[in-house]
Amino acid sequence: MNRYVMYNFVMVSLLNLMLFVPNILFQYRYHGAVSSLIAAAVIGPLFGIVFIRTITKYPGKGVPEILNENYPRWVTVPAFLFFALMWFSAASITVDAYAVLINRFFNPDANVLVILGVMCVICLYAATRSTLSMLFIMEIMLLLNVPLIVMLLVKAGGSDQMNWDAIRTASNYVQSMPKLAPLAAATFIFTGYLNLSIYNRVLPPNYKFKRGYLLPVFGIGVLATTYFIPIGLHGIDGVSSYLYVWSATSDSLAMEYGFIERVLFVFLILYLNLTLIYTASGWHQAMEMIKSCFPKYKPSIDEHPVPRSNYVIVSVFAVITVAALYLLNEKHLTEFTSYWLIIRMFSEYGLVIWIVVHTLLRRGAA
Amino acid sequence: MLHRITTLFAEAKDLNTHRIHNREFTLEVAYIGSLVDESKVSDYILVPFTKEEQSFKTILETNPSFKKIEDPARWAGNLLRGFVLVKLENAIYMLDAARVIRNQNPIAEVESSVQGPQTALSEDLIDSMNLIRSRYPSAELKIEEGTVGTLSMTRMLLLYDQRRVDPTLLANIRNRLKEVTHEMIGAVGELEKELSSPRRALFPTMIITERPDRVARALSQGKLVLLLHGSMFALILPANFFDFMHAMEDKYESLWMTNFLIALRYLSILLTTTLPALYISVVSYNPELFRVQLAFSIAGSRSAVPYPSFIEVFLMLFLIEALIEASARLPRYVGSTATTVGGLILGQAAQQAGLVSSIMIIVTSVVAISNFVVPIASMSYAIRFLKYPLIVLSIFFGIMGVAFGLFIYIVYLCQLRSFGKPYFRFLGNITKKEGDIGQVNAR
Repeated sequence: MNRYVMYNFVMVSLLNLMLFVPNILFQYRYHGAVSSLIAAAVIGPLFGIVFIRTITKYPGKGVPEILNENYPRWVTVPAFLFFALMWFSAASITVDAYAVLINRFFNPDANVLVILGVMCVICLYAATRSTLSMLFIMEIMLLLNVPLIVMLLVKAGGSDQMNWDAIRTASNYVQSMPKLAPLAAATFIFTGYLNLSIYNRVLPPNYKFKRGYLLPVFGIGVLATTYFIPIGLHGIDGVSSYLYVWSATSDSLAMEYGFIERVLFVFLILYLNLTLIYTASGWHQAMEMIKSCFPKYKPSIDEHPVPRSNYVIVSVFAVITVAALYLLNEKHLTEFTSYWLIIRMFSEYGLVIWIVVHTLLRRGAA
Repeated sequence: MLHRITTLFAEAKDLNTHRIHNREFTLEVAYIGSLVDESKVSDYILVPFTKEEQSFKTILETNPSFKKIEDPARWAGNLLRGFVLVKLENAIYMLDAARVIRNQNPIAEVESSVQGPQTALSEDLIDSMNLIRSRYPSAELKIEEGTVGTLSMTRMLLLYDQRRVDPTLLANIRNRLKEVTHEMIGAVGELEKELSSPRRALFPTMIITERPDRVARALSQGKLVLLLHGSMFALILPANFFDFMHAMEDKYESLWMTNFLIALRYLSILLTTTLPALYISVVSYNPELFRVQLAFSIAGSRSAVPYPSFIEVFLMLFLIEALIEASARLPRYVGSTATTVGGLILGQAAQQAGLVSSIMIIVTSVVAISNFVVPIASMSYAIRFLKYPLIVLSIFFGIMGVAFGLFIYIVYLCQLRSFGKPYFRFLGNITKKEGDIGQVNAR
């Protein structure tokens, strides 16, 4: 089922705004952001296609099962805990950032922790569902939201206010060499394939990955819009003065017909859905990783009723998420995110290489 | 036998026990007068017995309508289902002489259609089976009989096409039926509640229908159908969300208009669930959401209303729900009076009195009307409830609350299963060659 692989990819790539990817890129706009984009557009799809092709050779198995069968527990358990931490922290950063965003743009009077609490409860409910249900939820939400998001992006790209000169100026900085931070940020767009390390359990046995060209095509499209449209609308200098640069960008657009005039609100609601589904999916995967650490655990993709361990693990996630926002402010959050993106890049490619090398060695031995 | 039967039953005037003689035999007959067709009793038993054209013993042995009954424990149950018990020379036979009072040739009223078949299922199982068999003339149609309800012992038929049905589903439903321990099962809706899991599901996971054409189509899709004696509705399972949004009419009418109508139904359920909540959030939280002119006209229409928007919403929703309920419960000739009076209040008067805004009246009527667009009544009821949790969320969180609520509903729908089958998913094109997700688990 090709489309379910693509859903993961599309979801994560559109979600880059919530993880401050544009901000990090704009910080380096004079020092290698553009060349990092180009480098990411090569590295990201390459690792993606290799990983998908490798992991689909293990039908019905996720990364935990593959590694548990071949390596001792003292190797795999720390690795799983680490990956669980990576997924969990990405999801929690997103939901924290979004709660702050709601507070800034929608309900300025509301207590941000209350909003975050409600969002965490919703994600707790969604993340504890079975793996199969997670994919159904993801599919429906993306089918409802992505057409509108693409419409907004196209509308932004075709706006009269676009200053193509600014974009040309920005792209002229292509000569400066790629840097680590913007590269890590830009490769995040392609990281959706890694969700297969859990969702591969659900894919049918005779699944064959097709239409791999969509990965680079869609990814480059998202990268280009994420980076260049705000520059075109705010100017190459002005773009760095916003923390929520895409909210400001969408607020500079107007819909002339219909009930709603400000694009911002449509944009925020669409991204709310995307954030919730991303957080639910991220927590779900982190939960599955943690459950795989227990020796007795048998993965099941559609379990009814929901086992109690799901609730326990995800409740811990939710509490940590709320505590994080209580202790940190947006500045800490952005800083933390830029480090997280770098660690993510290395650990992600480490995992891909591990699985690929393992598969090649096994084939060599057989 | 007669003595034993009289001791089994409480003293009842309609319990008939006779001992009659002819030249050859002594015959004991027992039946419940109110349950059986007396003419059948005399045609099959009394007349041949007294005329003596043929030995009554050979009649009992040759006529297949008489069945031998060995176990005395089944006497009472069979008498109560309208059987006549006959004892001749220590052999006991039973004869089905039940007289069922039922609706004659019912017309489909709950799910009416303009150009489709007009008959509905009957309250009598045999008539219903006639309708279904004639629409589904297949030798593969298998019928299992059983009873549900420990006290009501309602007769029930389980129908399926034995070649098309999914065997795991069949085993699942048989187990589920065994677990029904209710005393009284009077209608399929009650059975549905007993069978569905989780018990407190927000949405129906089985279709209740009165249309034989829907039943026949379901059978052809390998679904199971349950019929209950005394209820003119059938239960089709498993079902998914999208089945509920399809009227049978959609198959009989012009393609483009029906596709448009299906889209309209989805839009309607979105409106009926979200509109009151959106009204609250736009008025009380985010008036800047709408363009300025619209925001002003909403605020202007509310200028006379002295209390917050959610009270206004609760007031109007109470009125409209009470009105719908009243017109459904009242006898038909009083019903129109209720709607007229209620319509007057809901229409002009409430707004002129400054109790509610005119926009709220539009919201209320849109909510009420678009709720009735759903073709299956049980889904229409389920959706009618959905607006209230959203209203509560919007009171506390505004627009975001509505978005939260819709997200929860979608998660809920996606995790719901109807007898192990996904309830709410986008099907897309699933080819056998590629397979479907979740297959690994299902093997």
